[in-house]
Amino acid sequence: MFIESRKLEMLHKIPVVKTEKYWKGLEEGKVYKAVCKNCGEEYYPPRAECLCGGEVEWAEVEGEGVVEAFTTVHTIPAGFEWHKKPYTITIARFGNVRVMGWAENVKVGDRIRIKTDKDETGVWKVYFEVV
Amino acid sequence: MRVGVVGVSCSKFGRRDDVTIQELAYEAVKEALDDAGITQDDVDLSVVGSVNTRGYELMPAVPVNEYCGFAGKGPLRVEAACATGAAAVYTAYTSIASKMADVAIAIGVEKMTEVDTATSLAIGGRAGSYLWEFHQYGTTFPGYYAMHASAHMAKFGTTEKQMAMVAVKAHRNAAKNPKAHFQKEITLEDALNSRVITYPLKLYDCSPISDGSAAAILASEEKIKELGIDDVVWIESVGYASDTANMTRRESFVGLKATVLAAEMAYRRAGIDDPVKQVDIATVHDCFTIAEIMAYEDLEFCRKGEGGKFAESGETDLGGKIPVNTFGGLKAKGHPLAATGVAMVYEIVKQLRGDAGELQVELKNYRGLLHNVGGTGHFAYVMVFRR
Repeated sequence: MFIESRKLEMLHKIPVVKTEKYWKGLEEGKVYKAVCKNCGEEYYPPRAECLCGGEVEWAEVEGEGVVEAFTTVHTIPAGFEWHKKPYTITIARFGNVRVMGWAENVKVGDRIRIKTDKDETGVWKVYFEVV
Repeated sequence: MRVGVVGVSCSKFGRRDDVTIQELAYEAVKEALDDAGITQDDVDLSVVGSVNTRGYELMPAVPVNEYCGFAGKGPLRVEAACATGAAAVYTAYTSIASKMADVAIAIGVEKMTEVDTATSLAIGGRAGSYLWEFHQYGTTFPGYYAMHASAHMAKFGTTEKQMAMVAVKAHRNAAKNPKAHFQKEITLEDALNSRVITYPLKLYDCSPISDGSAAAILASEEKIKELGIDDVVWIESVGYASDTANMTRRESFVGLKATVLAAEMAYRRAGIDDPVKQVDIATVHDCFTIAEIMAYEDLEFCRKGEGGKFAESGETDLGGKIPVNTFGGLKAKGHPLAATGVAMVYEIVKQLRGDAGELQVELKNYRGLLHNVGGTGHFAYVMVFRR
């Protein structure tokens, strides 16, 4: 015998005040990393504070990257049902940072270019294109 | 101050539609108390390990604690993703080593099957850094390990067949373990022909979604003497480490740095420089077949890059140089997150006592190794047990 629980739905409002530059950048086709003016540490995902205490500045992730890992998701999680077919999550290295994005037909070692786009749910994100 | 394990237990793993989380926990607690020959009155502290992000009981420690008869004795709730079990054992261990308790029980309990699979995947996919991973890219937990598999295959030539061999071994062992979720053998073809979950991982590369509980009772050497317990498995050493939440902040995808660091710490403290020779039985965190292959390398059973070949060699089978996951692994026994690490203690203690029946390994060093990973190498614990 089972008892059905009361339904609980959670929708969070996530503050992105400190990384607003990044989120706005995606809408302009730009992908930003954070670089510390003091120690030179580069952060992706970007953050507004360096652990050394130095001030960070925003710099674009540009040029060609190299695919280091990927997976094509066939068993799709709740929240992505709208994507009716498998999607490929890729991690690529661009100099001192690694970036996650969606790509098609990639393999490890491929050279790729970075771009941004909006998915069907209106979420802006990183996409890679094989060079 | 030496700390010993005086009682262990493990519930049947699998789909447990017959029990709530607290009832499931009590199954293990009762059995562990019987195993130690003590009662709740002898226990100073209960540590409740439970991730329980799939459960309706959002703060499970208190209901579990009450149901198990420990109201007034704690509880401490511990969470370290899939390494919650080892983290609970570590917490019990340190509370005794620091003389804050004489006897402590580590309970690991998880109910994972009360929600549907798509919801379960969406929860596991949040085991990283939500806003930068799941929110945008729909990461899943198998997906994180699949990315490691893609990197390992590209760099070292590791094959889908080698991964399948890990699954075949797991199922062969689990078939003889009455506590296992899957008690049936599979063939290499079954594994290789199973459907793709997240390329390159297929169904049989993945541990199932299971319910389960386990408990381990730890006590100080002094208290063990006082209680008149003479068959004790001692915790010889413990190592712990962690790594970045964001996958993009990692240096490499062909291994888990947290495992390497935790193993270094545990080996140094136990004086181990050649685990294959100095350990009789190892339990490694094989939530996915690629995880076991990387564990062989990161735990120094073989050189980096040779994990696939080591899986092929048969040296990790029963009767091999270093039998690994003779209980069927997370892969086939099941992986109820918080129960897993505590259940590893149960399996090691059973082996070191010589009580593992058909799955018994040969004891030369009377030493067992535990390796429990949380998330995708977000947490790692390595522990050495000795009888």
